[in-house]
Amino acid sequence: MNRRSSIKSAILLGILGVSTLSIYKYRVLNIEVDLKRFYDYQKLIAELAECIIPKSDSPGAKEANVDQYIINVLINCTPIKEQHKFLDGLEYLETYTRDMYDKSFFKCTEKEKLDVLQYFEDRDNYNFSILNKINAKFLGQSFFNKLKRLTIEGYFSSNLGATKCLSYDYVPVNYIACKPLGLNQKSWATR
Amino acid sequence: MNKKVEDTYDAIVVGSGISGGWAAMELCKKGLKTLLLDRGRDVKHIVDYPTAFLNPWDFKNGFNNTNQDKIDNPIQSHNYSPADKHFYVSDKEHPYIQEKPFNWLRGYQIGGRSLVWGRQCYRLSNLDFEANLKDGVAVDWPVRYEDIAPWYDYVESFVGISGQAENLPHLPDGKFLEPMELNCIEKHLANSIKKNNEKRVLTIARVANLTRGWDNRGPCMNRNLCTRGCPYGGYFSSNSSTIPAAISTNNLTIRPFSIVAEIIYTDQTKKATGVRVIDAISKEEFIFKSKIIFVNASTIATTAILLNSKSKRFPNGLGNDSGELGHNLMDHHSSTGAMGIHNGFNNMYYKGRRPCGFLIPRFVDENNPNYLRGYNIQGRGERQNWEDRALNMKGFGLNFKNEISTPGPWSVWMAGWGECLPYHDNKISLSEEENDQWGLPLIKIDFSFKENEKLMMKDIMKNSVNILEAAGFENVEGFSYDKPGGSTIHEMGTARMGRDPETSVLNGNNQIHAVKNVFITDGSCMTSSACQNPSLTYMALTARACDFAVNELKSGRL
Repeated sequence: MNRRSSIKSAILLGILGVSTLSIYKYRVLNIEVDLKRFYDYQKLIAELAECIIPKSDSPGAKEANVDQYIINVLINCTPIKEQHKFLDGLEYLETYTRDMYDKSFFKCTEKEKLDVLQYFEDRDNYNFSILNKINAKFLGQSFFNKLKRLTIEGYFSSNLGATKCLSYDYVPVNYIACKPLGLNQKSWATR
Repeated sequence: MNKKVEDTYDAIVVGSGISGGWAAMELCKKGLKTLLLDRGRDVKHIVDYPTAFLNPWDFKNGFNNTNQDKIDNPIQSHNYSPADKHFYVSDKEHPYIQEKPFNWLRGYQIGGRSLVWGRQCYRLSNLDFEANLKDGVAVDWPVRYEDIAPWYDYVESFVGISGQAENLPHLPDGKFLEPMELNCIEKHLANSIKKNNEKRVLTIARVANLTRGWDNRGPCMNRNLCTRGCPYGGYFSSNSSTIPAAISTNNLTIRPFSIVAEIIYTDQTKKATGVRVIDAISKEEFIFKSKIIFVNASTIATTAILLNSKSKRFPNGLGNDSGELGHNLMDHHSSTGAMGIHNGFNNMYYKGRRPCGFLIPRFVDENNPNYLRGYNIQGRGERQNWEDRALNMKGFGLNFKNEISTPGPWSVWMAGWGECLPYHDNKISLSEEENDQWGLPLIKIDFSFKENEKLMMKDIMKNSVNILEAAGFENVEGFSYDKPGGSTIHEMGTARMGRDPETSVLNGNNQIHAVKNVFITDGSCMTSSACQNPSLTYMALTARACDFAVNELKSGRL
């Protein structure tokens, strides 16, 4: 009973949040974005992507030019309201970092950078996945989830990511239906 | 308007997709000088597959469609990606009217949708051919399995279909190449299904992907990039198979960019004499004449041509004495099912990208009291990868990177492919107000799934969830997306076969009842939809009708 009513109230809050925000922001979210602004943030996007997929024994997001991929998809393939949310998110991330640490994101320590990302991951996700879906459907994907998704997509479909961090099997020839996992087996890059 | 009468042929085939390709090949092989018309551009096997060898990183925006794509092609862009969008039409250039939401997915080119089809090939059986009669629904099929079986044999032997014989009366075995193989989780699921209900089966999909070289094509390289066109000829398409075979007879003339506006009928002979064609580029008009005509423009387009072929004798469309032309539109529903993950078999994996999944054939002899007909379940098992886990895995950084680049848990996704009854009021018609850029009336589509389909969907979800849970899957989630008709791209009906000219458009040989030299052998001819992927049946009916037509021609009856 308790669990059920807390889900209910969470849903209610979610819906209320959606409606007040949508009334407030409806017009703003549908005005065209100055696309050049994404390039103004290119270095920050690259830095954030590197925090999500850092260099290890395989290249990181920066080396794979994931920032350029993210900007391409944001500019060419992203609904206007999500473009706004993304830019708002970047702007707020800069402000938040300054307020918290009194310096820019670039100057933060690794630990501080990860803490900032953690704040944004928590901020942009409900505890119930259904609310995330509802939220994404009506208001567009949140800043952090968009950033994370595009980073992962851009990295693992890049030449470096697919071939150095995953197993890229260009022409498999045969299908081997069941085989034991290899030593340090990486996931196949494509399906 | 000057309509030039061009050459006269023995046969004209309208449309070069999976059934039109078959008609062209069969008629050419039997010695008929054949004109193959298609409204789209030419697509030559291999040389016109520009994306076939591209890597994921060769696509600037990955596999995301652009905002412009979504605006210009709101329907087609649901299905295409930058890797295969060139095989889909532009919605903007080729509009139609949705009286209710209907996704009409189209490919206007030589080869049509045979380039991008799902390649699954299942026979219908008498469970399907007798269903309308038994249930008192619509009209009886004028054929039975025994009439079609030899033609299934015939087309399967040419197409090359891999599959596993299962000896099921309601899903007859075919002439199979070696089957593709189930992976660990799929075998586990198969065993569990068998253990819990000995009448139920899970088998590998029967697909037109070649497990060995066949007809100078293939074998399949297990790249799973079929919809880009296969540079190895690893799967069957008109482009890779029937059209080259037709060309090699020297009896084939192909004319791309040829929009058939109407079929010309003359009362003197009670036959069609030819077709009026509008050149898609120059918009010039031509008339081509022939002794017989096969209309294989795809379900909705074929019927639109007939509806637009008006004469004194047929004021409501060619062969439309029954008033059924345009009615009884069907499409399978396939958006209900379940998925789940399995935490076993952690040390097992696979190699290669098998271009198909599995099939759980329709359940028979079980109690399904509250709806008619049935469904099969199609799905696939695999280990989750970064695409599945991008947002399901919390976190970021080094550990996250390591975790997401290794194989995730096994997962199975599966959904029911369900029969749709033929309803008179699910229909297409021609607009009286709006024309396309060639002056032809826009097609109006008025379709919805009804109570029987909705009850079936509930049963699909329940059964899918139960099957996965019984096999030890976790986080099992049933789903039912409310997708509009057309989404399965199995649209059929609108010029149904039947025994009685008063209630059907075509007879048991796919001839228009009252216009004996016009044959319709694409999905339009279907009297009921069954639940099997239908292309194989279109191919078999086409080969059979071609044989019949040529015999009739030779014996002077046409």
